[in-house]
Amino acid sequence: MALVSDLTTKILFETEKGYSYQCDLTNSIIINFVDTVSSYKIHDFLIFQRKVNNVDILNMLYDLSDKSDAQLIETTKRNFSRNLTICEIVQLRELLNGTKFTLNLHSMLCNILKVELI
Amino acid sequence: MKDLLRTSTSLIEGIENILNLQAKIESDASNKYLAMAAWLDRNGFDNTASYMYKQAEEEREHFLKVFRYITDMGGIAVTPSVPEVQQEFASFREVFEIALQNEIAVTQAINKVIAKCRAENDYATEDFMMWYVAEQREEEKNARRALELFELINENEATGKFELDLQISKIG
Ligand SMILES: [Fe+2]
Repeated sequence: MALVSDLTTKILFETEKGYSYQCDLTNSIIINFVDTVSSYKIHDFLIFQRKVNNVDILNMLYDLSDKSDAQLIETTKRNFSRNLTICEIVQLRELLNGTKFTLNLHSMLCNILKVELI
Repeated sequence: MKDLLRTSTSLIEGIENILNLQAKIESDASNKYLAMAAWLDRNGFDNTASYMYKQAEEEREHFLKVFRYITDMGGIAVTPSVPEVQQEFASFREVFEIALQNEIAVTQAINKVIAKCRAENDYATEDFMMWYVAEQREEEKNARRALELFELINENEATGKFELDLQISKIG
């Protein structure tokens, strides 16, 4: 059982609408977004992040019909399946992109530190 | 905290993107050659049609080779979309002029991938891409030879087109 303090050190990113953390036991990324918890292997996370970034928000804004008020966002293996409004998509983007940033930064630091150690 | 990104893939995002782009370029090249093969076929150039069918298959192999490299290295390979390609050509000669232009464009794209590998210190991918450098050297030479044959054989003479069809198909 992971300790809370252990968990908080692995928080990758936090926004008003959710947070993400890394689980080293299962090698996965856990996303908590507006009370939906989903977990991802790294590839699935990257695919999810790209998918959310590829939603054509401008098109949704200009389309005045009801069907463009929200869009179904689903991920591989059905970790996450929700109808999200434009606003929620932007918030999810912020969370996922922030998470990705931390992962990248961490990877870079590991790379540099290892090089210096040798 | 584990470095999940690095343990899952040896490709950085920038390299993965440019490799996916290269996969698409190879896949497009295959379709372009396929359209040329069909045009040659319906205009009576049986031998060069076969030659182009073969080229189309080769390009498809080039595509698969990059595609599989991406996944082998832990990256995310994206199946490229299939755009419209040129179906009609003004002349027999134009087919080969366009083929050469395509090969030159592919060479430039490959050089860009290698430049990116060097900028990112990705020597494994650079080494992988060297196969394509050698391949392009051949492809460009062959495409240029085809146009050279148009200079040597007058296509407007009695059996000119027939002879060109035969000679070009023997290239390579
Ligand atoms: Fe090729």
